[in-house]
Amino acid sequence: MLLPALLLLAALSLFPFFYIIWMSFNEVSLIGGVNFEWVGLENWTNLVTDPDVRSSWIVSGIYFVSTVGLEMILGIGIALLVHETVWGKNLALSMLLMPMFVAPVIVGLLGRFLVDSTYGLYAWFLDKTGLITWEILGSKGSALLAVILMDVWEWTPLIVLIVLAGLSSMPPPVLEAAKVDGANYVQRLRHIVGPLISGVVVVALLVRSMDAIRYYDIIAITTNGGPADATKVIPIRLYETAFRFQELGYAAAIGLSMLAFSILVANLFVRILKQQGLAR
Amino acid sequence: MNGTGKKIVLYALLLLVLLWTVVPLLWMVLSSFKNADDLVSRTPKLFFAPTFDNYIGLFTGGNALGGYIVNSILAAGISTIIAVALGCIAGYGLARSHFRGKDHVSFWIISTRMAPIAAVILPLYAVFRTLDLLNTTSGLVVAYLTFNLPFAIWIMNAFFADLPPALEEAAMVDGATRFGAFWRIALPLTAPGIVTTAILCLVFSWNDYAFAQSFSGPGSQTLPIAASQLITQTGINWGQLMAIGTIVVLPMIAVGLAVRRYLVKGLTLGAVTGE
Amino acid sequence: MSGAGLAGASLLGLAGCGGESNQSSSSGGMWKQYKGMTLNFISENTAPTSAIAANLKPFKDLTGIDVKISQLELGSLVQKVSLDVSSGDPTIHVIYADPYQVMAPFSQALADLNDFNEDDSLPSVPKGLGDFIPTQLAAAGRFNDPDILYALPYDTPTMIWMYRKDLFDKYGDQMSQDLGFDPTPSEKITWAQYYDIAKWFNDNTDEVEYGNGQQAKQYDSLMCDFSNILWAYGGDYFDNGVQVGKIGTDDPGPARLDSDKAIEAAEFYKKLNEISHPGSTSWDWTALDEAFRAGELAMVPNWHEFAAGVEASKFGGKVGYERLPTGPARSASMWGGTGLGINGELEDDEQRAAWLFLVWATSPETQLSGLKSKVGGGTPTRQSVYDLPEVKKAQHPPSDMPNILTYPAVSKAWEPENIGLRPKIEEWNKCDTVIFTEVSKMLAGDESPEEAMKAAKEGFDRANGV
Repeated sequence: MLLPALLLLAALSLFPFFYIIWMSFNEVSLIGGVNFEWVGLENWTNLVTDPDVRSSWIVSGIYFVSTVGLEMILGIGIALLVHETVWGKNLALSMLLMPMFVAPVIVGLLGRFLVDSTYGLYAWFLDKTGLITWEILGSKGSALLAVILMDVWEWTPLIVLIVLAGLSSMPPPVLEAAKVDGANYVQRLRHIVGPLISGVVVVALLVRSMDAIRYYDIIAITTNGGPADATKVIPIRLYETAFRFQELGYAAAIGLSMLAFSILVANLFVRILKQQGLAR
Repeated sequence: MNGTGKKIVLYALLLLVLLWTVVPLLWMVLSSFKNADDLVSRTPKLFFAPTFDNYIGLFTGGNALGGYIVNSILAAGISTIIAVALGCIAGYGLARSHFRGKDHVSFWIISTRMAPIAAVILPLYAVFRTLDLLNTTSGLVVAYLTFNLPFAIWIMNAFFADLPPALEEAAMVDGATRFGAFWRIALPLTAPGIVTTAILCLVFSWNDYAFAQSFSGPGSQTLPIAASQLITQTGINWGQLMAIGTIVVLPMIAVGLAVRRYLVKGLTLGAVTGE
Repeated sequence: MSGAGLAGASLLGLAGCGGESNQSSSSGGMWKQYKGMTLNFISENTAPTSAIAANLKPFKDLTGIDVKISQLELGSLVQKVSLDVSSGDPTIHVIYADPYQVMAPFSQALADLNDFNEDDSLPSVPKGLGDFIPTQLAAAGRFNDPDILYALPYDTPTMIWMYRKDLFDKYGDQMSQDLGFDPTPSEKITWAQYYDIAKWFNDNTDEVEYGNGQQAKQYDSLMCDFSNILWAYGGDYFDNGVQVGKIGTDDPGPARLDSDKAIEAAEFYKKLNEISHPGSTSWDWTALDEAFRAGELAMVPNWHEFAAGVEASKFGGKVGYERLPTGPARSASMWGGTGLGINGELEDDEQRAAWLFLVWATSPETQLSGLKSKVGGGTPTRQSVYDLPEVKKAQHPPSDMPNILTYPAVSKAWEPENIGLRPKIEEWNKCDTVIFTEVSKMLAGDESPEEAMKAAKEGFDRANGV
């Protein structure tokens, strides 16, 4: 039963995978068809010594931790909030889930529309209240913060969805018993709810992490890596290397390093998952 | 804190979260009805003379939106159906089989979804060119399968793994085949999970920009491409962009609302812990 | 679209170079020899293409060929072209060959158009190649080799000085008194004086937020904006900057960004940025235009084709257009035009069919109807179009072809000593990224002007293998 799907998947994924590995050891030119020129480890040594790639990894690191971190914290918090709500729960939930249905390209453009000092609603509001009077996408710190928040706006609902499902499947008797025993909210949260949804939480983490490192639509359409490289995350540098500089061999190496990162991170989470599973 | 006090805090927080979520969308929908001057006015306008020009502009002229909408629906829809169908079968197979290296296979499956997009575009382009899939909707369907299929297999595997095998085993003792047990017993029980998977696959495909940009041509371009085409050398057509945003969001919201109940129940992720 | 019908008729009278004028039936045959084919045309989202896309009927009537047009943002266009070339079995016939991002890196994949122009069995360029403005023909059409022609000039956006004439009329006298010189915009004003004017607006009136705005987003736009000043101060990217910009080269040699003049230019650019609208560092040319149209700025250096939008805004009729100010060396206006090229990897027949489209798309009639089109604004590349009486009339308001209001300024800007041409080299994409990244860092305060220019030079040299 497994076979047809696996065969299809293998066909779709193994060829690109080996192709990329091959590309990373070559200099690739495109005129008249794809041509390879063996360069051995040159792309890989460049990868390790290139200061631009290093700085992109740092920005990516900050971006990754901030977006995933915020999305997890807010997502869990909002899920708990919705879970406790009785009146209007369905309505609230429907509204809360909307952002994730908007294409990242459109989220980026909408973000630009809201934050540009000429006509942006948020820019106007922040300026009038004196909170932020400078150009948000024009200075390094606020630009990075802005794109982080756009990503958080779009993807927190995904976390909310997953965690809420876990909360909804908690057996009520356990909670009742805890309440009867006199545990307050915080205690219940830590000792009962926490362990019960920990598996769910790790899954949400995994699902979001996989994409957080490779999605770049929002940044590409708002700041495209600027100002002064402040938002130049590694997938943007990858795209630039591949299609602006036509250095496909080097791009392949960058891509593989990104894949390695994802696999490492995912492995980490799955291991935690296993521990949780065993603990239960 | 007493009961009412807690309730007030609760609803206040909820309101805050709702505002954060909904204000940008409301602004987008509102702006889609503004004319060019109102859109870029220094002081954001809440009250203005509405116009349908943006919507009219989208559906007439050289790049009528209708075609893009159809392409998006076809590419996302067909890819989702295939992914979910194969994903259910494969997920079940994986859940019910026990062989050495099963965990590795499972991990490999989901790792294919971690591919760095810009790097895989070249090899995929080569494949599509050879198979004549470029500039076609079928090509996009296949492209979307590269991330929908692993996702579907992985999640459905988890759902099935959480179903106690007893029911199916009973059926098989009574003479049902493995597939029969799957079809008649396991599948209906995971209906909410299937719906959830389908929705998520649909969302990821519907929102894709990178693959559509690389593999589609004039006959198969999707809505996110239409949005980016409003960025011209001499300006961004914000009005039409807001209108596209509204159009893009609406069907997804409708779909999400329709299956909301399944969505929440579906992710009974005591299951998706990948045992 | 009255010109369109004429286009077919007049083009039918063409023959290969040197041939007699044929009967319309046989020349009609020349145009119709590829009837039934379909051509793929990939272009940036630009006015002439929008105008053509809105009305392909004349071409279809003339040739019986269908054209499928893809309009993409420039980065995506480059990506698609590179993918198409890579397949070894290309599908794109007509390419919007941006001289710096497409023509230079992919020149080997483009066909030599002279082959078609001199072929008797194909129509040749109406009015000959000499009708194209000379600097543009070289800049848009040639790379590294002065004889090969890779593209026919298609559009020609050029940077000029746009300013609120109404404000200058109102405050002109006061400014004269305060500043000690006549601030009326023209290329006689120096950049130093421009700075003073901008500062005057900041300090003395609330009618605009700021005197000046820049397209200083960490992007192509920053390079364009900075280059004007680099050249005005006598600096340049490479030795032989004029040649490197006009024809291009595959071996530019070491970069000269660390010269004293270049550093001086960088210092001025930073100084100017400090008193310009703070949004500048997040604005590309589009956002700058939006700010100008919203009344935030008194003046901007921006692309002349934005005039169409400006005239349609609430400031229509109140805006003036002049060449950019002069620096110690000269007044330079960045040119950003592009030509249409043919994919040289295609079968002969397909290339010849594509040539038909090229001739039609750059013909005087098509360029004129593009100017008049509702969807366009257009920026013709042919002298004959600008010499037409109705176009000449449009140079003065009220004008139904608002981009022509800028003609007095841009026509001078296209002269060889005034035009600003960035280097046409294979590694330009990398160098472009280096310069706009370093200048962006300079503006953000991460680097001093001297450090930024030195770092840029090093980046350039690394990219060019020097």
